[in-house]
This record gives sequence, C-alpha cells and structure tokens, in this order.
Amino acid sequence: MKTKLLFSALLALAVGAPQVHAAKVRVVTTLTDLADLTRNVGGESVEVHSLATGVEDTHGVPMKPSFVPLLNRADLVVLVGFDCEHAFLPALLEASRNPRIQPGHAGYVDCSKGITPVDVPKSTDHSEGDVHPYGNPHYLLDPVLAKSAVKTICAALAAAAPDHQADFEKNRDAYLAKLDAKIAEWQNQLAPFKGTKFVSYHEHWPYFADRFGLVYFGTIELKPGIDPTPKHIEEMVSAMKAEHVPIVVREPQFPEKVPALIARQTGATLLTLPIMPGGVPHTDTYMAEMDYIVNSFVNALKK
Amino acid sequence: MKLKTILGWSSALCLCAIIAQAQETNQPADVEQRLKQMQETFEKRQQEMQEQFERKTAAQDAEIEALKKQLAATVTNPPPTAVTSAPPANLTGTPETVTPEKFKELDEKVNEVAAAQKKTLMSEFNPAIGFVGETIFSQESKGAPQNGTGYPGGFDVYQRSVELNASASVDPFAKGWVVINGSADASTGETSLDVEEAALQTTSLPWNLTLTAGQFFAEYGRLAYIHDHELPFVNRPMVLDQYIDGESKTYGAQASWLVPIEHYVNLTGGFGTQFGDSPDAIGSYRSMGAVNYWGRLSTYFDLTPNWQLECGASALINPDSGNVNDELAPNGITTLTETRRLVLDGDLKVSYVPLRDNQFNSLTWGTEVLYSDNQYLASNDGGATTFNEAVRAWGMYSYLTYKWSRSWSGGFLFEFLQNDEDNSARTYGYSPYLTWAISHWNQLRLQYTHTQPNSATGYQPNDGVYLQWCWIIGSHSHGWQQR
Repeated sequence: MKTKLLFSALLALAVGAPQVHAAKVRVVTTLTDLADLTRNVGGESVEVHSLATGVEDTHGVPMKPSFVPLLNRADLVVLVGFDCEHAFLPALLEASRNPRIQPGHAGYVDCSKGITPVDVPKSTDHSEGDVHPYGNPHYLLDPVLAKSAVKTICAALAAAAPDHQADFEKNRDAYLAKLDAKIAEWQNQLAPFKGTKFVSYHEHWPYFADRFGLVYFGTIELKPGIDPTPKHIEEMVSAMKAEHVPIVVREPQFPEKVPALIARQTGATLLTLPIMPGGVPHTDTYMAEMDYIVNSFVNALKK
Repeated sequence: MKLKTILGWSSALCLCAIIAQAQETNQPADVEQRLKQMQETFEKRQQEMQEQFERKTAAQDAEIEALKKQLAATVTNPPPTAVTSAPPANLTGTPETVTPEKFKELDEKVNEVAAAQKKTLMSEFNPAIGFVGETIFSQESKGAPQNGTGYPGGFDVYQRSVELNASASVDPFAKGWVVINGSADASTGETSLDVEEAALQTTSLPWNLTLTAGQFFAEYGRLAYIHDHELPFVNRPMVLDQYIDGESKTYGAQASWLVPIEHYVNLTGGFGTQFGDSPDAIGSYRSMGAVNYWGRLSTYFDLTPNWQLECGASALINPDSGNVNDELAPNGITTLTETRRLVLDGDLKVSYVPLRDNQFNSLTWGTEVLYSDNQYLASNDGGATTFNEAVRAWGMYSYLTYKWSRSWSGGFLFEFLQNDEDNSARTYGYSPYLTWAISHWNQLRLQYTHTQPNSATGYQPNDGVYLQWCWIIGSHSHGWQQR
C-alpha cells in the first residue's frame, strides 16, 4: 500500500512539475562560420545545424524543404543580418511555422547587431544591382567583428538556457582569447604587405581589407549580382595594370574563367579563397578558414 | 487493477493539489495583498529602468561631446608624419593612428548608416510594393478559333499583365497581400483590371497550422498557384488551362499543416467558390463554379546534397449539380446535366541544384499529370429516362530546363491532353524555349510551340513563336511557393 502511495505521488509530481530545460538548445545557423562560433560557445549544451555547408554563395543557399523541419524545431536561428540571407531565409522562416524564431522574437539572433556596416548604399535603386540596403553584410571576414558575433551568440544562448549561462560565458571568453591570439598572428603576417591592392569577384572583402591594411580595389562583377560586361573587364584590366594590383581573388562559388583571364592579362596572382568555413578543403572552422585566407595572401605576396 | 489504482491515486493527488491551490487563492484579502505587492514591485522596476535609461543617455551625450572636442582638436593639428607599422598592443583592431582623413571617413560611414536607418524607418509602416510587367510578342500560323490556344492568328503584341503586388504584416498574428492585375485579352485585346489575390494569412497559429482566407491561389498541383511571369516557360500548360482554368484562383479558405516530424511533409485542405482564372477562358469546357474542395499532400527528399526530389498529390472535387449545360454532347450523349467533378493531380520535380554554383548551373525536370472524372446525369434525345454518364480523361506536361550560366537557360516542354468532356479529342504540344535573364529583374524568353490536335478536337495544327519580355520594379521576393 505504501509503495503504491509513493509511486502515485511521484507520478503526480512528474505530471504536475514544470518542465525542466534538460534538452540541448537547438540552434540553426544560416552559414558555417556562425555554426562554428555557436559550437565553440555552446559546447555540449547546444545542437547546431547550419543551412549552408560552406561551399555555397552566402546569398544563394538553396531553399530546401528539408530545412523546414529543422527550423520548425529550432530554439534559435542565428544569422549574419544586413540582409545577407534575403534570398532564402525569410521564405524558410515563414514555412517553418515556428513563432520563436521569427524576426523580433528572442530566437531570431541577428549577429549584425552592434556592427557598423560599410558601403551603405545611397540608393537602393536596381540600377545599382542587387544592393544590400543596410550595407555590406560580409563583416565576418573581419575576425575582430566576428568577436562581436560571438558575444551576440553567447547572450542569446544564455537567454535560451539560463542554467548554462556560466558555461557559455566561460566558453566565450576562452574562444575570444584564442581568437585574439590568432588576430595578432594574422596582423603580424600581413603587416609587411600593408597598402597592397586586390580585386575580387563579389564584394566580400572590404571588412577584411580594412582590418589588415590592404586596399580593396574593386569587383569583377559589374554590380552586385550582375555579371561583368566586356567593357567593365577591359577597364578593370587597364586600371589594375596602372595601379599594379598584384592579387585577384575568386570566391569558389563564381566561375574561374573571367578572374583567370584578368589575372593573366595583368600578371596578378589568382587566389581562390573561401568566404566561410568549408568553402575549400581543410577550412572546417572559422580559425582554419581565416588561416587559409591569410596564408594564401602572404604566400602570394612573398613571391 | 494495478493501473486503475495508480491512476486513481495520481488523480486524487492532482485534485488535492489543485483544491489546495484554489483554497489558497480564493481568499480575497490574500489576493489584494499580492496585487499590492505586485504593483509596488512593478513601479519600483519601472523607476529603476527609467533611471538606468537616463544614466545611459547622459553617458552617451558626454561621450559624443568628448569625441567632438577630440575631432576638433585633431583637425586643427597637422597630420602625423609616420604610421605605426608594428601591431598594436591592443589586438582588438583599434586604429593605429588617428588622422583627419580617418575621422572624415568615419564621419561619412556614420552618415551612411544613419541614412540607411532613415530609409528603413520611412518604409516601416508601408507595405512592400512591386510591379511586374509582361509583354508577349507572338506569331501564330492559325487564328484562335482554329488553334484553340487563345492566341490570335498572325503577328500580335499584347500586354499579358501589369501586376501590382503589395504585402505587409497586418499585426503580430497575420500578414496580408494584394495582387492586382491589369491584362489584355489575347483574342480580343480588351483590357481589364482584376484583383488576382487579396488575402490574409495567419503567422502564429499553434500546432504548425497556417490559415489563409480571402481571394488567393489555392495550393493545388505544382504550377497552378504560380503567376504567369514565374512559369519556367511562356504559356501555362494546356492541361491546366483546360482542366482547372489555368490558375488555381479561388475565393475561400485554406488550412495548411506542417506535419511535426523530421521529414518534410505538408498537408493542405481548403474550400472556395469558383476555381480557376476565368471560367470562360478559351479551351475551358467545364467551369468549377459553386463550392469546391481541395487537398494536397507534398513531400521532399534530398537524394544527394546536389539532387532534390519534390513530389505531391492533389485532389479537387466539385460536388455541385447546379451547373446545367444541355448543349454539350460528349461521346454521343445529347442532353446532360453536370453533376460531380473530380480532378486528381500528381506532380514531381527532380532538380540538380549544385550547392557551390547553383546560380550558374542547374537542371530541373518537372512533370504534372492530371486526371479528370466528369459525372453527368444524361438522357438520350431529351427523353425522360436518365442515367449516369462519366467522361474520364487525363493530360500531362513534362519539361526539362538546363541552366548553364547566370543569364542563360533553355529547355523543352512536352504536353499531352485529352479533352475533359470528350476523351477521344487529343492534343499534343512541343515547345523548345530559351531564356536570357539579363538580370534578376529583367528577362527575355523565346519559345516555339507546335500543337498537334487530332481531328476529334475540331482544331488544326498550329505553329507559334513567342517572345516574352518580363520585368520587375520595386519590391519582389520569391516566397516559399515559388522556390
């Protein structure tokens, strides 16, 4: 009789007790750099999925229906912001039927918060191409600004799982310390090449150039999202020759033909560089990606 | 017996807990006391927040003043002669040397950000508005009465649509959108202004539910709820035109449920009066008036990271028996009264969408098959004896589109259909097409179509060449359905 009573009491408590947040925080990130940063802060307490695998264009992640159940169950969606994901995220969020992660809610973690954008367009007219009205969204290629994203992610995780706040903050501080050490290393590596000019296919690199003292000379694309015309290529080649631009960067998402042609005609070195972890082999983490980018520049410029 | 005992005890305990809680909270004095405490706490918190806000504002003002003074002092000073080359001690990216140029640059940046914020604020309460224009240049070998496609013979230019789209959140619980379309009739050239869509959709219903109501394109099949300018080819497939009047426009309500499992499965069901773009469209033989009911099940599979498979099954039923048309004579029956109509649909899309360069390279194969079951109450020669008669017909389209650069793609469309009221009347269609997307908002498409009807249709073979010029201004985003 006593056993029955005890069992019944336990059952009643179990039914009536508030749900304890024992499960992992389910996070979906749009890009792989954000996934890596989230894993480093969240540790074992988070389950992270990235919509991109790393090889995609940041603006062209395919809108797969298999993303919908992931987003439907997510506690947080972590995004770059500044309209970077405009081509796929709004529709996916709508399809997810998950009110927790809609814009304006706590689960919508916009890492651009606190970042001062560059290249804010004076006009959003389409004659300027597929412009980002809030400014250039590729700030994660500046590791100092990536630190801001780490802090934003940490705050969001702590709000989602307050019990683990101390762990998240400890992980954040440890990761930021490592990142600071790497930033010093990267700055030392690139210090001798300050003022070096380079061009790229898409306007991914202004934050990177600013951070490391390089000069971002222009884009191969005519305008964002618009392929180069023969006239534009011709003008770019002339300008690069006149200014002795030694580097052409091609992001792996874009065809090699035109960047290779420009590099040949100007005598510049063609570099194929990832724009997020996983973009090229052996760049599975954010630090590995930045290592790859910095080392590629250094090796090309030492020649 | 044991289970009953356990359940009994647990229920009793739960009940006791609830009663105890109720007794506790039923005491008015206690409640008043608690309310008072809550109010005090709230007021205290509000005051703290106000003080905190004021402190922050004052600190920011002081900081701005200090920066202004610093800027003024620096501008009047000569620029530094040397730039520090060693990495800074503070490795968080603090600028190494402050120059007037740097301040000017910073000032410009701040102004740009402020301008961007102003732009956002200005449009904050306005809907996103966009226009889509679509002009068709065509050359047909046969006139509309002979070819049955709705296009006049010879050379023709007409504005198929000028579409105004506006959408915005209504409140935290719903969004709304309107699509108004000005178009010219292909045969007569007569222009008209129609509301294509004006609907409200919930955004925060529980249990993965979404409810849509108003005038909208019902989720039926693959391309029926896609607007003309978003089709992968110039003209809507003949089978959609003839079986459901082209677009799935309806006046009604629709519920959609995302099944809460790890695999993507979506279920939709709805009802609405009328179904289709225009019940009197050329090539349409039986309207979907009165109340219709439809449902759709769709799912998706990642075959590989680059290969995708989407498929769905839909059903549309019109149980209405009020649409009387005694002029029809399918299969030799002379007098008939329309009764139930059922249109089943199966669709499949296999796509190669390479993750790395899908903006420059992709392959899509799409197929949709429709089966129409028309039921009639028939009588021979207007006699009093009636009997049930059914006409069952099917039709399909299948297309393959290959994209080989950001701007260029091409493909081939095959069509087949039986007339839904006389299944001996059959038509085949063959259409190669080439698309040049000058940009995301400006697209030209050239298509040749050969239609080959058999003699039972009463139509003649037709050759048509179409040049579609489609442009977009203002806001335009691809929603989930247009993926």
